[in-house]
Amino acid sequence: MASKKAKPRKTVKQTEPEETSSKSEEPTSEPVSAEEDDEDDEDETKDSAPEPDEDEAKKDEPKAASKKPAPKKEEPKVAASKPVTSGPAFEDDMPNQAVGQPRKPASGHGASGKDGGDHGPEGENIRLGDLSGTLLKVGGGMAVVGLGGAAALGATAGDGFAHFFHSYLVAFWWGLTITLGSLFFILIQHLTKARWSPVVRRVAEIFVSNMPALAVLSLVVLVPVILGNSALYPWNDPHHVAQSHVLQHKEGYLNKTFFLIRWVFYFAVWIGLGSKLAKNSVQQDVSGDPALSRKSFALSAPGMLLFALTTTFGAIDMIMSLEPEFFSTMFGVYVFAGCQLSFHCVLALTLLWLQGAGRLTKSVSVHHFHDIGKMMFAFIVFWAYIAFSQFMLIWYADIPEETVWFKPRFVEGWQWVSIVQLVGHFVIPFFGLVSRHVKRNRKALAFWAIYILVVHYIDLYWLIMPSYDGQRAPLSAMDLLALIGVAGVLIANAARVASGINLRPTKDPRLAKSLAFENF
Amino acid sequence: MSEKKDKSTTKKTPVYGILAEYSDPAVLIEACKKVRDAGFKKWDTYTPFPVHGIDPAMGIKPTILPWLVLCAGLTGLATAITLQWWTNAHDYPWIVSGKPFWSIPANVPIMFELTVLLSALTTLGGMLALNKLPHPSHPLDLKERFERVTDDKFFLLIEASDPKYDADEVTALLAEDADLVEPLMDDDQTPAELPRGIIYGLVILTAAAIVPFALAAHARESHNRSPRIHIVPDMDWQTKYKAQRVNTFFDDRRADRPFVEGTVARGNLREDDHFYRGKSGDTWARTFPNQVEVSEATMKRGEQRFDIFCAPCHGLQGRGDGMVNKRAESIGAGVDGWVPPSDITDPNLMKQPVGQLFNSITHGVRNMPAYGPQIEPEDRWAIILYVRALQRTRNATTKDLTPSEIASLK
Repeated sequence: MASKKAKPRKTVKQTEPEETSSKSEEPTSEPVSAEEDDEDDEDETKDSAPEPDEDEAKKDEPKAASKKPAPKKEEPKVAASKPVTSGPAFEDDMPNQAVGQPRKPASGHGASGKDGGDHGPEGENIRLGDLSGTLLKVGGGMAVVGLGGAAALGATAGDGFAHFFHSYLVAFWWGLTITLGSLFFILIQHLTKARWSPVVRRVAEIFVSNMPALAVLSLVVLVPVILGNSALYPWNDPHHVAQSHVLQHKEGYLNKTFFLIRWVFYFAVWIGLGSKLAKNSVQQDVSGDPALSRKSFALSAPGMLLFALTTTFGAIDMIMSLEPEFFSTMFGVYVFAGCQLSFHCVLALTLLWLQGAGRLTKSVSVHHFHDIGKMMFAFIVFWAYIAFSQFMLIWYADIPEETVWFKPRFVEGWQWVSIVQLVGHFVIPFFGLVSRHVKRNRKALAFWAIYILVVHYIDLYWLIMPSYDGQRAPLSAMDLLALIGVAGVLIANAARVASGINLRPTKDPRLAKSLAFENF
Repeated sequence: MSEKKDKSTTKKTPVYGILAEYSDPAVLIEACKKVRDAGFKKWDTYTPFPVHGIDPAMGIKPTILPWLVLCAGLTGLATAITLQWWTNAHDYPWIVSGKPFWSIPANVPIMFELTVLLSALTTLGGMLALNKLPHPSHPLDLKERFERVTDDKFFLLIEASDPKYDADEVTALLAEDADLVEPLMDDDQTPAELPRGIIYGLVILTAAAIVPFALAAHARESHNRSPRIHIVPDMDWQTKYKAQRVNTFFDDRRADRPFVEGTVARGNLREDDHFYRGKSGDTWARTFPNQVEVSEATMKRGEQRFDIFCAPCHGLQGRGDGMVNKRAESIGAGVDGWVPPSDITDPNLMKQPVGQLFNSITHGVRNMPAYGPQIEPEDRWAIILYVRALQRTRNATTKDLTPSEIASLK
């Protein structure tokens, strides 16, 4: 393990044009780090080093070489401090070309990534290319038609946009849960130093870049709050609060100013975390610096804490406070379950589509799809577990402040939607996804991913819509149009982000292990 | 011992199979493919670590374990449902917190637990069984070279019991790749049968396992007059006195003490018969006592107390149709002697003086319990005021309306 640590630095050095200079460097680092005098290790790094001729042929290489001196000077310091800053826990951070190369030689430079140094398989298309233009057009069209149509229908409904705001909130949260799911996915992969996921992580990093677009979309929901309109949130109506003893006690939390402050905080955290993690990963494509992985790891630990708190309170603020008398501490976890569920479906669908379009055909294998399918199955069960845990305690205690939320959903008109939830969101996909053959079959996996995204929409509809109409599901073309609009914005923005970067990391230290990943 | 050894030397040691040794997993996989294609059935490989790709190379079919686990999980689910239906709703119906006898949401945690339990046990047990584990002894255990299988060597063994086994052919086939090929002798002299002691032990344990079930079955069908067994006497007999128990310290041997004659606790004189007992002389009082102000505020208080204490049985309208009665009727409690709560708007009850109503609340009537200890006298009077209002709402006539209201109805 100790010998492995020394590897990355040496391989970085050996990508320089002059082999002699790197050789002369070595003795200086030896006294500093006792680990580096391992002879086996040196042999390995020589074997795994790319041939110099090929590197010199690269146009980008001189640039990379000219950047080298600066980090080199710092190197002894870093090496000296390493045993302190990074314990054995960082064992896996190291590039393991020695493991990966016999199987998939790194001689494929140039054939794949445009900026060279791709440690992935040879001759694979990892750029979105001209597809991004098509996607931008399709997504943009969907956004304009969907959002415009929904707004037009909402204006003609004659209920002061109340129906529109609810429909829009469902669609907005459908997009937000997917994007929050992508943020959690990146955080957890870094925190666990997952070896299976680096090849699929970039797709999550593209989707998390949708967060600023969602912040803009959220402004529509903020309009009634700022205007003092209670079409969405009854606590925004002083007359309603004056009549409700419970709401008077909650006023310190549920008031316009604090609500807006929290709203800004949530999106600041989500955008900040997402863009930083995505940026680190994209930078690594160029520099190949394993320290970026360590930075992402270090950011993910507090990031996870922030994510848990902001997601929980975000769900409480934006969905639970639609019926402000009700409270449930389980609510945030319930919404979180939907985040993970929907994102893994989007991840599977995106990768399947990309492979269909000739991208990532070699690096993403059936083993990765199998794992994504497992996560879909796991979160189906997790969702049901959380949903039932929330329901059963309220059902058993039978306290009016809590049962008030379930009454319209179970007694007064939404029963059928609740049954659709139980059967459609748990029983059917449970048996549908339980088999490994389904998870390894592209068509079956795509079917279940689409299916779950639909029931996930119904789930959010069931959460939000009864606060608009507690007697029946107020189906309207507005729902569909708003959904198309939000989906269009996400697709167009994701395409815009993806057009400038690779569709998978090219120099991630765990890339080799991810490529060689096998699932039984 | 020595006798046995003599026998073994005289008897020819049987060949168990042909063992091949490799030092590279890639070579082992190549060898596996050859053995697989040659059509051998009774053979296996031994490696220091799990080797990727060896399953297809050996022609191992996907395991049936998932199906076993699915069946076990469904069995657990069905068991949990049946168990709870039979115990809670069928064999010994018992109302818990006013829920239906067979209440599915309350059953779900047990259903979940039993599904997971049986699935997990079957996963472990099935894995062991399918792998033919535990395997207490094997001829390989006695082979010294084989010890390196936990270190850096890879082995392939074709057993002599394979139908295609032919010592020379097998040796030739394995020699193509292996570092070393040699026959494996079955040196193990342990008898194949299980020792007698283990067999008897298993028989006794199996028989003993039936005992608890037999005792439970017997207890269900018999009566026993002897006192129960006290496992924790300290808990069963605590050094304290309970109401209605014996205390030999006092002459009258009563544990709960009556008030000392001629004394009254502070604030408990309660000499006002009208206010505290609803009596006016020897008859029930027909008016509200002076302490009770007949006002809107008292009415509101009475409504609130009524909704808390009375409405569960008598209903919010006082018509005897509260939740408790509805539930009792829905589960057929009528056959078990359920007395429905009175309709307090009944004309007979309307005729009762307020003092008598007060007495009913204080001490209870029929199967209605006494609410005196729970509701303060002021509140009892407030409830009666509200009850009177409820009674009037049910028996209102045109006389109760103002002329303008009558006009609006016409």
